[in-house]
Amino acid sequence: MLTLETNYIMKKFSKIFVISYCFSFFFFQTIFAGTVLDKFKIEGILTIASTKALQSELLKKLDIKIIDLNLKKTDSGWPVLRIEYDPDVVTKDKIETVIGEIEDPAGHKYKVHKGPLIANANLIDEENQAMTILGDMTMDLKQVNNPTVDFDSSIQRGKDMFVKNCAKCHGLNGNGYGVVAHGFSTWPRQLWAWYKADSAADSYLYWIIENGKSDMPPWGLILSEEERWDLINYVKTIKKPEGK
Amino acid sequence: MEEKIRPPRLRISRRIKENKVFKVKVKFDHPSFTGLAMADDTSDPVFNRAIPVTFIRNMLVYYGDELVSRLRLSSGIADEPLFTFKLKAIKEAPVKVVFIDNFGKRWEASKEIKFKG
Repeated sequence: MLTLETNYIMKKFSKIFVISYCFSFFFFQTIFAGTVLDKFKIEGILTIASTKALQSELLKKLDIKIIDLNLKKTDSGWPVLRIEYDPDVVTKDKIETVIGEIEDPAGHKYKVHKGPLIANANLIDEENQAMTILGDMTMDLKQVNNPTVDFDSSIQRGKDMFVKNCAKCHGLNGNGYGVVAHGFSTWPRQLWAWYKADSAADSYLYWIIENGKSDMPPWGLILSEEERWDLINYVKTIKKPEGK
Repeated sequence: MEEKIRPPRLRISRRIKENKVFKVKVKFDHPSFTGLAMADDTSDPVFNRAIPVTFIRNMLVYYGDELVSRLRLSSGIADEPLFTFKLKAIKEAPVKVVFIDNFGKRWEASKEIKFKG
């Protein structure tokens, strides 16, 4: 008796399941009719005009829907164009080819970026040999003492100077990811490394700011000695943000 | 942004006397560029990546077989740069300047030093 009832319930349940599955399959199939959302990393976006030209020309040439063009704050650093298209109507290769054919008003061509960004390839043998013969960048780190008396006002002055001169590369919070940082061969230093550093770091910081290092220019040509100490005093107060 | 790179050209004074300082000029048509552009200046950060960064990272100067100088350059260097430096004419030998860019590509230019007068 119990087995018959269970069988009946099971049959009913499987019928409802099959019907609802078929219904949802056909419903979503009709709504989304096989469209695909794809991302393309774009090279060649140089001006405001080139962002507009790319999108308008693509829409003219292909039957696609442009979702958005994210210029900044993308994972790869490259502008990302999100496109929705029907793979039965247009292929990904076709989209890439058309992007490569479009010219912006100044005559520059676009390109879909492939592969990793090579900002700096490995040193060749000749460069390694040259560095062995002449040495890498040498710097004379003579001992200097911090002459600051009023640290509070010095830190405030240093902060103003940091925002004006340093934040573009080192970032406002010193994370080394300033707005122009990704154009350099090496990433700018994360400045919280010197948070609460003692006087032993003074000479190093002083001469690095004075002479520059890697892509950093020699600030000794621009900032006075007092200004450099203000900057050092401020750098030592930059704390690593929570959760980073 | 396809730009042609021309091999470097070297110019040296015509009259070089022994043990005197002479000037060397090197012109290299290289499209050094940070790769950044400002397609939208209203949002932060203002710069976006436009093309791959390209720059000369090392310039090596040889006098004869000897390496006399190495200049470490960055993306801050202008495109098509002109470098001028001085050397002391201690021997009759070629002066060779080598450029290596951030992709590891290498170019060179050289000229023979002959004493006159």
